[in-house]
Amino acid sequence: MVNESGQLYTIEGIAAGMIMLVTAYLVLGATSVYTPGDTHISDMQLEQLGTDALRMMNTPVNGTSESQLREIIENDDANAFNTQFLNYVNSKTGTETDNLHYVAEVSYRNITDGGTTWSYPLADNNRPLTGGEHPVRVTEWVIVHKTLPPDAPYAPKDRAVLVEVLLWRD
Amino acid sequence: MAGLNDDAQWIVMMGFVVSFSLFFLAMILNQSTVVGQTTAEGVLEFPKNDIRDVRSVIISSAEIGDPSDVHNDITSLALSRKGAVVDYTITPPTGSDLNTHITIHYNNGVTEYNEIWTSP
Repeated sequence: MVNESGQLYTIEGIAAGMIMLVTAYLVLGATSVYTPGDTHISDMQLEQLGTDALRMMNTPVNGTSESQLREIIENDDANAFNTQFLNYVNSKTGTETDNLHYVAEVSYRNITDGGTTWSYPLADNNRPLTGGEHPVRVTEWVIVHKTLPPDAPYAPKDRAVLVEVLLWRD
Repeated sequence: MAGLNDDAQWIVMMGFVVSFSLFFLAMILNQSTVVGQTTAEGVLEFPKNDIRDVRSVIISSAEIGDPSDVHNDITSLALSRKGAVVDYTITPPTGSDLNTHITIHYNNGVTEYNEIWTSP
């Protein structure tokens, strides 16, 4: 016959053990969620910043002129894009600048092979993607007057292209 | 209470109360860290800028003389590069109706947007 004294202590021990196990599980789960939650917030800000910069570049200064982004794509002017885009995204209050980098591409529909999507590099700031960055992707639709693909046997005509920018901070 | 001294039951009960309150505090702490993530995810995954952008390019394409290439560009690029089904129809001014009407449909599988735009 087993001595049945001390049953309350046994129950209390089991209950305390379970509480400690579940608490440890909750706390460990909480810390593993915290890091992605944190990066999401800075991603959100970066995405809005990049979208706004592209939107500003795609806004004409008056009703008759073309937007700056449209002129850049029509002339393949990588330097103008680099200067203006970095100026918009890296400006901060005061003299110090932010440290954002980007790779920009233009996607278009190839009308010579039945409509597959092609992309070509538009500009970058000499920081190739190594795979260790955590970039966000921002895009802007632009209507251009251009021959696409460049070697197609057509005169320039109005086309819609998608400017895609990968943007990251390091 | 089989063979057990039943003094100090008050202390045992307070022990339980304190442990359970710690347990619930841990649960609240666990939930609070997810709040930032779900909020940011909600903002990131809602295609606000995509819809604004495609809407503005569609409306500006109404002023182009031959919009058939632009129409195919927008629908095919939106599907292949943005993962969204976009379609629109431009009805130019006819007869006594001096306004341009555009019906816009956008659907990326999660968010759907439909609009009938009338020129001012």
